[in-house]
Amino acid sequence: MNIENTQSQMRKGILEFCILSVIRRGEAYPSDIVEEMKGANLNILEGTLYPLLTRLKNADMLTYRWVESNSGPPRKYFSLTPKGEAFYGELQATWNELSNAVHALTQKI
Amino acid sequence: MKKIININFHSRVIPIEETAYEILQQYVDSLRRYFAHEEGRDEIISDIENRFSELFADKLKKGAACITDEDVNAIIASMGRPEEFEGETEPSSAQPGASAATANTGAGSAGGAGSAGSTGPAGGFQQGNGPYSTAEEPRRLYRTSNDKVLGGVCAGLAHYLKLDPVVVRLIFVFLFFTGAGFLLYIIMWAVLPTRPLIAPPASRKRLYRNPDDRVIAGVASGLAAYFHIDVWIPRLIFALPILLGVFTSIFSNIWWHAFRYNGHFIFNGFGGSLFIAYVVLWIVLPEATTAPEKLEMRGEKIDLESIKNTVKSDLETLKGRAREMGAEMSERMQQMGRDMGTSFKQSYQNVSTDMGYAVRRSGTGIGHAIGVLFKAFFLVIAGLVAFALVMALIAVAFGAFSGQGLLDLKSYVLDGFWQNALAWATFVLCLVVPVVALLTWLIRRITGMRSQRHYLGYVFATLWVIGIVCAVVLAGMFVNNFRARAHSEEDFSLVQPATGNLIIKAHQPLVRDYYEDWWFGEGWRHHGYFYTLTDDSILLNTVQVKVLKSDDSVYHLRILRGSYGSSANAALDHARRIAFNVSQTDSVIQLPGGFPITRDQKFRNQQVIVAVYIPVGKKVLIDNSVKRYDWFNLDFNHQHIRWDNSWRSDNEYDNDGFTRTDNYYWDAGVQYIMTSSGLQRVDNIDRPERKEQPERREQKERKEKPERPEKKEAPDAQSPPANPDGQARPANPDGQSRPANTGGYRYQAPARKAADTPAAKTSTSIRPRRASQYVLFSSFM
Repeated sequence: MNIENTQSQMRKGILEFCILSVIRRGEAYPSDIVEEMKGANLNILEGTLYPLLTRLKNADMLTYRWVESNSGPPRKYFSLTPKGEAFYGELQATWNELSNAVHALTQKI
Repeated sequence: MKKIININFHSRVIPIEETAYEILQQYVDSLRRYFAHEEGRDEIISDIENRFSELFADKLKKGAACITDEDVNAIIASMGRPEEFEGETEPSSAQPGASAATANTGAGSAGGAGSAGSTGPAGGFQQGNGPYSTAEEPRRLYRTSNDKVLGGVCAGLAHYLKLDPVVVRLIFVFLFFTGAGFLLYIIMWAVLPTRPLIAPPASRKRLYRNPDDRVIAGVASGLAAYFHIDVWIPRLIFALPILLGVFTSIFSNIWWHAFRYNGHFIFNGFGGSLFIAYVVLWIVLPEATTAPEKLEMRGEKIDLESIKNTVKSDLETLKGRAREMGAEMSERMQQMGRDMGTSFKQSYQNVSTDMGYAVRRSGTGIGHAIGVLFKAFFLVIAGLVAFALVMALIAVAFGAFSGQGLLDLKSYVLDGFWQNALAWATFVLCLVVPVVALLTWLIRRITGMRSQRHYLGYVFATLWVIGIVCAVVLAGMFVNNFRARAHSEEDFSLVQPATGNLIIKAHQPLVRDYYEDWWFGEGWRHHGYFYTLTDDSILLNTVQVKVLKSDDSVYHLRILRGSYGSSANAALDHARRIAFNVSQTDSVIQLPGGFPITRDQKFRNQQVIVAVYIPVGKKVLIDNSVKRYDWFNLDFNHQHIRWDNSWRSDNEYDNDGFTRTDNYYWDAGVQYIMTSSGLQRVDNIDRPERKEQPERREQKERKEKPERPEKKEAPDAQSPPANPDGQARPANPDGQSRPANTGGYRYQAPARKAADTPAAKTSTSIRPRRASQYVLFSSFM
């Protein structure tokens, strides 16, 4: 049993949830998402983020628009679709359940 | 000093060091491989590239002159290597391997990797493999789909055996010359499943053509760059034989002959192959157009030095961080510790994957060149085989070379619709189908087309099996055509020669072809097979002349026409239609050179036996022309087909009862006289032909071997020879007498079964007499 492996498994499950929650607060640029997550002490590699965003977008959870930037070409800004909202809602419910359960269990000891 | 290039990277102009650019490219390549099966691959990569571009622009805005290796590495570190990505598609098993190595042996293994770099990819490569690593999977033999020259068999084997593919390829090249390797390769190609495997290639160098410094195509300068030699050396090697050839032909008039010969030898032999080598390399080698390719061409190193430097600087920063950390020593120490771990891990992985890429991307250098050459060679061989097969097929079918193709022969042998249909089915299905299949396969291989229709192979196989069944049925029907044998007989009304000497001659063969052939030269062909094909008939010369003793005082000539057939009657019918017309002028009997069989008559192994009966005291001379006759016997009755061109050996097997009995051995061109004790040479005992002895002895032995044991038994088993003079007349103890003169032999075949038993008896009863016949022979010698 490898501690890193278990950790990464735990993180993997909540990554989408966290990303969606960041985007839900307003249109987001990927590097902003990374910064925000880093600020919350949840490190994520950009290389992990981009594929996740693309997958979510392809699953119609996300949409994006091009925003002109003052330096160089336009950037992609992501936002949630209604389907994404619903998906997020379900994840939120699941997280609450899990969080409560885990909390209850771990506090017992 | 580093070269800086400007790239247009996602709508931004970025000045970047050439090496940094290469690192970037390798990183993007690794992403491309990692996301190979991802739906939105291009989009993901484009996004990441875009981000790179943005970060580069930031860097430049902050005053950097250009993007350096360090910059790129730093960005890559923040982006993460593919093997660090967290996602559903990632095999998590790759993670522990890398991180476990990081945890405690980080510095050690990094140093080790640095020093091991000279001998090849070390541990760093294995761990840096990330998602490509197959170490945790059960080891299975695959063909690779990515690192292949021909079918990926060698690389697959190498991966399985953990060898360098170049080694396996070289072994296979050697095996190919034995032929077994060729087969083995084809079989493995067919059997093994494909899979993308990352095999550790040997070196970073590759052969390219150098477009920057070329005379013709840059082959020589590419070679020079590869071997790190001055460019004039390979140029001279390529040019020297040609120059020599030119010079020697100029001076050939002045110099003596031998020198000219030598010059030509060099030019034609060695120089010629060098010329071909140049052209082949020209075709095979890619041009080094991009910067990394040019680097690879020279084998310039992203090598130990740079790796070591990277490792060192990483360790430095780590130390710095640790010191900082020690100074801070706060309640967030745990947090920091993890940070450190992560960053250590990242930097370590940077190094290891760098090495991985360095080695992975490089191909296999000269092995690659050899492989490509070999691929061409292989395809040429396969093409030649296919071509030869097609040509052979055509030759067999239409007789392109011999004029005696199977198709021509077919109409003489086969009878009726079904046999023809079966013959065609056999021909097409058994011979044409495999050739077509081979060609299809080959064309697919060459064009790289991959068929989705897997049933094609099954269709070919099924057709072929049907063809085999047709062949078996046809063979059955064919044998049935030769089941029965029959003879018709005819007495030729002979005018008794006044001289007391009968001469037997044969005409020239009815048809001789004048042939002009690039292989055989030219001339008249008149003595080849036992048959000759013409437009409307097949000419047989399966004729035997047999000499027997006449029972009265006159010559007799009897012509037996024999044939096979599906029934006795059919065989007799075939036999009677043989056109074999004998003529006589004075004492000369002219036999035709053969007899034609038309398509209607069909070939049923027709044979003619000319029996010449010589009265005692009269002479006979059989002309040399008679030797042109051949003998051929298909015999299906002994569960095998006898294909026999020698009528003498046929004696032992001939079952018409006639040949076994009382005929005498004769040599062409020799005058014989019939005596009461048998046939004797007129010029006999005094003039033994010594040079013919070995052959004769052999014949004698052949005859004696089966007979000798019976010599003694025969008189006991049968009644003793009825006639004391023994040799003069055929003895027939069981009373089925053959009146010596009128019925010299039986007309046996139509009622063959009935006649079989007496015939057998007859022949055994005659044996004692045959023994004396051999006594007679031995007296010749």
